[in-house]
Amino acid sequence: MAKKTIAITLLIALSVITYFRTSSADQNPYLVTDYSRLHPVKVERVVKGKEETQLIHLLQDARKQHLKVSIAGQRHSQGGHTYYKDGIVVDMTGYNRILSIDREHKKITVQAGATWEDIQEAVNRYGLAVRTMQSQNTFTVGGSISVNAHGRDIRNGSMIKSVDSFRLLMADGQIKQVSHSENAELFPLALGGYGLFGIILDVTLLLDDDELYSVNTETMPTADYVRYFMQEVKTNPDIRMHIARISVSRGSFLTEMFAKNYTLDHSEPLEKYSKLTVREPWTAPGKLLFQLNRSFDWGKTLTWDLQTAFFTEESGELISRNNAMRAAWQFMEYDQPDSSDLLQEYFIPVRQFDDFVEAMGKIVRSENLNLLNITVRYVNEDNEAVLSYAKQDMFALVCLFNVPLSSKGQSHMEQSVRQIVDEAISRGGTYYLPYAGYPSLEQFRAAYPEYRLFFQKKLQYDPGELFMNTFYEQYKGGGAE
Amino acid sequence: MNLSWLIRSQSLVTLASGMIYPYYLLFLKNLGNSYSKYGLAFAVFTISSALVSQWLAPRLDRYSQRMLIASSMGMMAAMLAFPWVMSYSVVLLLQLLMGICNAMQKMSERQLLADYTIPGGRGAAIGNYHFWTTVASGIAVVLGGYLIDWLTINVLFYFSALVYAASAWAVWRMQKADRGKESVQAQKTKSVNG
Repeated sequence: MAKKTIAITLLIALSVITYFRTSSADQNPYLVTDYSRLHPVKVERVVKGKEETQLIHLLQDARKQHLKVSIAGQRHSQGGHTYYKDGIVVDMTGYNRILSIDREHKKITVQAGATWEDIQEAVNRYGLAVRTMQSQNTFTVGGSISVNAHGRDIRNGSMIKSVDSFRLLMADGQIKQVSHSENAELFPLALGGYGLFGIILDVTLLLDDDELYSVNTETMPTADYVRYFMQEVKTNPDIRMHIARISVSRGSFLTEMFAKNYTLDHSEPLEKYSKLTVREPWTAPGKLLFQLNRSFDWGKTLTWDLQTAFFTEESGELISRNNAMRAAWQFMEYDQPDSSDLLQEYFIPVRQFDDFVEAMGKIVRSENLNLLNITVRYVNEDNEAVLSYAKQDMFALVCLFNVPLSSKGQSHMEQSVRQIVDEAISRGGTYYLPYAGYPSLEQFRAAYPEYRLFFQKKLQYDPGELFMNTFYEQYKGGGAE
Repeated sequence: MNLSWLIRSQSLVTLASGMIYPYYLLFLKNLGNSYSKYGLAFAVFTISSALVSQWLAPRLDRYSQRMLIASSMGMMAAMLAFPWVMSYSVVLLLQLLMGICNAMQKMSERQLLADYTIPGGRGAAIGNYHFWTTVASGIAVVLGGYLIDWLTINVLFYFSALVYAASAWAVWRMQKADRGKESVQAQKTKSVNG
């Protein structure tokens, strides 16, 4: 009897602990949020996008019922772009067919809910590859276009440069073909438009040839990086992709880096390496290591040392472009209640890089932020997108922070991020809009001076503000002034 | 004594299956695009379980302990295989295997439970049996959730395989105790007769 009492008490205690541990709003399955798990809200309903006519009717119904509509893909944006309180969420992930592949002109047309992985699977057999996308391939095309994504490719600019055209379902139910020649005004608005101009139905993307790369990793002091990149990477046309990491280990905090270059290689036939990798190796040990990175200073040092050793050891490895564009992500999955791993990204003019890293380091240290990693990508100047984040050639610093979701933790993060954003803006830099909306309205306006035009056009194309999300509400600032 | 080993071994089985079962459903749902496809995977499980039961039935009284061991080993193999499955047809094959294991386990546990108890005195034993196997399953499912949160669902499959192996060992231990008893019994009979 005593044994039974102990066993059942243990089970009940375990259940009670788990109940309280998971009782925070970010864990509530009946509320909608995004990857950040910030600001969960109740929505009217989530509707799976299936057919064009269904979506048209959905908008009609929403207009009649005076409901707002938000558009969601994989919901990896982190600033409430994919939902709005009491609104309808259109989940586009099931709207994901590959419509056509034009091998001759290297183009593919897909429904917006298709992921980059779907595209890679469709085009790999023809020796074709994606031109621009994020490092990971799990996002939907519609989502990536709506945030004008960028990635490791350093030759093709951001997303906007690789989109040929798309069809946009507007607030009034009309469908418009949008490209550089048709309805051209909408092109740089809806692309990087955060779902505010309409539902992107299908997209024609420009593709590149799949290629074989040799991957090489070099370590260097942060102070040498700009020179290294400008003299040794940018000037070498064979280097097609590039990514770097800055150390967050205590001993070399922000002073050491390693850079990974993907250089065109002709030493072996591509076919030998072109089979797509489907399994992510070492997920469980990776997840464990990343947890140590989150929890301890020594974990950060261990992670940095192992990462550097691993990638240096791997130098010389050959990989196809399609395989290089499917970076591991599962080891970073994090679902713990009350805290979340949040991204922040700063675009810094090339020459200001060192100076900014130093300034940011001071803030991270003095505010005691749990900075998990920083990756660095190069972004070409883009004067096309209305909300362009790169008005000149920039380095993008993608910073991953582990952040408490409590209101106290959030307000601390907000004021810390605002300090960092001030440092970026004062150096002619910007920050990326898909992430948590910590920056103030004033900072948004300073980083994106075209905001007036953006919001004016939003109201012109969608006067009833049918397409609505938390991001828009936060930054529209009482309407277009 | 043997009843305790039966309870121990089958608590390990429910521990292993309990930790995987709810998450296994999620895992299967992710594989199939439709609920009907996912229903089919379970139908395959029941078909193999039902069919094999008819072959097992006449052998049950004689080989129930071996069947329990085979069932645990089969489940262990299935758990080790799941993380590597890349096609729906292999899932169906594994469902088939697990159906066979299920028939062996369910039939043997009932048979042994009956063997180790006497009519009129089964209530307490069955109560014990139910309590321990259920508590084991409850603890398993909560811990399984933590394990996936911190590691991956694949690790949970491997962990479950390990527990199935332990349950096979516990049945083997029970079998050994049974044999010991039988030989003591035989010796006693022999000395009485002699």
